[in-house]
Amino acid sequence: MMPTVSRYHYFCVAQFKEIFVAKDKADLLQGTLDMLILKSLSLGELHGYGIIQRLRQLSDEMLNVEQGSLYPALYRIEQKGWVSARWDVHETGREAKFYKLTRSGRKHLETQEASWDRLVLAITKIRQATT
Amino acid sequence: MKWFNVLRDRLRALRRRDSVINDIDREMRTHLHLQIEANIKAGMSPDEAREKAMRSFGNVNRAVDAAYDVKGGGLFETLAQDVRYGTRVLLKHKAFTLIAVSTLALGIGANSAIFSVVNELLLRPLPYQDPDRIVMLWEVSPGGRHQNTTSRANFRAWRAQSTSYEDMAAFSDQRLTLTGNFEPEEVSGQLALPEIFKVLGVQPILGRTLLPDDAQPKSPLVAVLSYGLWQRRFGGQPNAIGQPITLSGNKFEVVGVMPPNFQFHIKQRSGTGRPAEVWIVLPMPTNSTENERGRFLSTVAKLKPGVSAEQAAAELRTIEARLSDEVPEFNKNYSAEVLPLREQFFGNVRRPLWLMLGAVGFVLLIACANVANLLLSLATSREKEIALRAALGARRSRIVRQLLTESLLLALLGSALGLGVAWLGIKALPLISPRDVVSLQGVSLNSSVLLWTLGVSILTGIIFGLAPALHISRLNLNDSLKEGGKADSGQATGSRRMRSVLVVSEIALAVVLLASAGLLVRSFIRLQQVDRGFNTDNVLSMVVRLPFARYPEDAQLVQFFNQSMERMRNLPGVRSAGMVNFLPLYGGLGSSTGFKIIGRPEPPPGQGPSCDVRVVDAGYFATLGIPILRGRNFSEIEQREAKRVVLINEALARKHFPNQDPIGQRLDVAMFETPVVTEIVGVVGNVRYDSLIDEAPGAVYFTHPDLPYPFMTLVLRTDGDPTAIAPVVQREIRALDPNQPVSDVRTMDQVMSEAVSRSRFNTFLLALFAGLATLLSAVGIFGVMNYSVALRTREIGLRLAVGAQPRQVLLLVLKQGLALTVMGVGLGLLAAFALTRLLTGLLFGVEAVDATTFATISLLLVFVSLFACYLPARRAMRIDPMRALRYE
Repeated sequence: MMPTVSRYHYFCVAQFKEIFVAKDKADLLQGTLDMLILKSLSLGELHGYGIIQRLRQLSDEMLNVEQGSLYPALYRIEQKGWVSARWDVHETGREAKFYKLTRSGRKHLETQEASWDRLVLAITKIRQATT
Repeated sequence: MKWFNVLRDRLRALRRRDSVINDIDREMRTHLHLQIEANIKAGMSPDEAREKAMRSFGNVNRAVDAAYDVKGGGLFETLAQDVRYGTRVLLKHKAFTLIAVSTLALGIGANSAIFSVVNELLLRPLPYQDPDRIVMLWEVSPGGRHQNTTSRANFRAWRAQSTSYEDMAAFSDQRLTLTGNFEPEEVSGQLALPEIFKVLGVQPILGRTLLPDDAQPKSPLVAVLSYGLWQRRFGGQPNAIGQPITLSGNKFEVVGVMPPNFQFHIKQRSGTGRPAEVWIVLPMPTNSTENERGRFLSTVAKLKPGVSAEQAAAELRTIEARLSDEVPEFNKNYSAEVLPLREQFFGNVRRPLWLMLGAVGFVLLIACANVANLLLSLATSREKEIALRAALGARRSRIVRQLLTESLLLALLGSALGLGVAWLGIKALPLISPRDVVSLQGVSLNSSVLLWTLGVSILTGIIFGLAPALHISRLNLNDSLKEGGKADSGQATGSRRMRSVLVVSEIALAVVLLASAGLLVRSFIRLQQVDRGFNTDNVLSMVVRLPFARYPEDAQLVQFFNQSMERMRNLPGVRSAGMVNFLPLYGGLGSSTGFKIIGRPEPPPGQGPSCDVRVVDAGYFATLGIPILRGRNFSEIEQREAKRVVLINEALARKHFPNQDPIGQRLDVAMFETPVVTEIVGVVGNVRYDSLIDEAPGAVYFTHPDLPYPFMTLVLRTDGDPTAIAPVVQREIRALDPNQPVSDVRTMDQVMSEAVSRSRFNTFLLALFAGLATLLSAVGIFGVMNYSVALRTREIGLRLAVGAQPRQVLLLVLKQGLALTVMGVGLGLLAAFALTRLLTGLLFGVEAVDATTFATISLLLVFVSLFACYLPARRAMRIDPMRALRYE
């Protein structure tokens, strides 16, 4: 569980601010970013720009994922088979690439969320115990 | 699925890089535009919206790159890049590539060739069913002789009392005369119990094998043919089944044909010296005691699953001990042993083979060191290029990977060419390999050899590439990019040190190989110089084997051979002729027969003296140049009638009649059913019959009438080339008996040559590898000195300019080379002291640490490397000071 804890630790310290920017830390945060992207897609099909917007809305403007981090993560998720992609015409009339959660992606999201919840619960308990 | 998607993406990127990048670019641009539109919607001016969007996006190119790293790029793409680039580098430096690749080809080729032999003999499963459970059962004589054949009685006891085996079969290889409406031919037959086919688990391609019913008394005589004999005699016709053949005068019915690759040949105790071509049932008469106790049977058995050879051996020793108690007069002090089949076949070649593999490994290491040296030179000339790449942002690992790719390319090229070398080697090996040891026919470049070669080449690529790659990637950028700072820079010194280390290790490795080869060469020479006790010049030998069916009476044998000897002696060009049942150094059974000296107290059973028994005629000694030391030769009448006289050799006389005249003493040699007392009439010189290595044991010579043998080896000493007379001799024999073949026609020189063939083979191969190692290390030291002279051009020019003599410059360079050589030789000698011990067993008449050999090869290597240094030294001497100084 070590990596997950340190990931969470970093997550807290960074206060949700531009944490997905630094390249070296990308590995550390990969799993979390993946989960967030999957979560944003769980509400429906989206293009890359839409994913960023939705994450911002959902986090009350606290979380700003940079494009430079988003796309590599998206492609990796696509290679894992968790999302599928297709080019389609956007409502503005522009062509955009839309991503959609696959069945295995949904399953992965569920397990990720469950383990995240457990972790948060555990850490919360520990913090309550020490304070 | 993940790896598959990644692979698909990356391969697509590899093929259509532009379209993948376009796709990413398009997606990013859409993103940007959506952002701009959102900004405008939020009330910004178009310019402001664009600028803000661009700023929030960051560096677009970097974003595209990062995304592309996922889609394409990665190992595949950089590998493709590196291969392309490496190919260009290798093509640009053609001379370097040529030298490096051919060096590696020699090293890798030698490795693959030897490995193919190791694989065939030591690693590949034997071509029988469950070969790991097949074992050979032997007796060990009281004299400690291993792998002794056993008797019918003892075999029966083994079979009845043991529980370790599924099946057990006795067999005996014997020569049979095949006659019919064609020229009579001698074939090698395996007389075996039918269970042998169950033990080996091999099916016939036609008909059936021998079955237990065939071994019942009064069942019809049947024969199973080898594929070769079936092709030769029946033209490969299926209707051969059911046909009769005549073997040594008896009619057999052909019932089966074995597959082409099937053979079961235990060379050590074979009475024929070659693989069987026909299998017939070994008679096991139960009612007679005749031959019940003669030891002539080999035994093969299949262990039950889960039973180890050690357990089986323990059981067999218990049974043998019981036999020793029950029948002491035959079995006293006999023991038994169980040998796994692979051990039986290849036990005697395993050690030399692993040694050879080690030797070619050394050669390959030397080749690697050489190529590493070459790569260092190449890298030095590419310092600027690599520094530039580093300056442009290439990471160190990336540069190392690039350089390693180049060396792997080299290694793969080398191994491709090396396979050619190995193929030639495999073709050449059987030509020089000893026939009597193992058959190398099955050795080929099969998939395991190819796999091994691939593995070796990748490993070598990393070995010789890693050091230079690490070294060069550690370069100081500034120094390299600065013009002219090269000659005295720190890297040059570092690289020179690494080169020196490489060359010293090369020389050390070469010393070890040379020392081993030197020891083997000395042993070989010693072996040739051994006083074998006979003279081989112009002597021809051939075997005549009379079938029992046509020569049932002893008198007929004696008469036939005496008549043929008479004809031989009268042939023009024949100086003398004689005969012996078993030639020296040529198979035979190496019998050690017990004897008693009449008038001396009888020793307890199993502890009496034993001797080697040979049947000869009077002409034999003169023909082979064996001196009669005391007494007399056999007389004319003794060669026609049994007069109960024998000759003994000097060894027996010395041992048993040290202070006594052996002439007139009487012996009872246990060659007969009943005691037969014979008188010693003469003493002859010792002859090494069994091997050149062992001292001659005591020997007793009988005449033919006293101890008739159905086969004899005729020996003829001729005036000129002995082979010329062979057809004449064959004609003479056929004149006596038109149905009588002659076999094994060979000169005594050939016999001798075969006797030392194993030693010659090992010596030749190791000397070859040592020579290769020396050559390669000479090239290595040449390269280093050449490079060093090039680096020091300015310094040497300066020395010459201020008045140094060219001779001094020459000495300067030679001294430097000599220092490296001496260091290498010293280290090599230390290693040799430790390693040549492994050669024990292959050496003869020389210790594993032999001062003469070690000194000789050290001097040899010093001379070779001085010569290699001389060329660069001469170049240094001729440096033009003016030009050298201006050059910088």
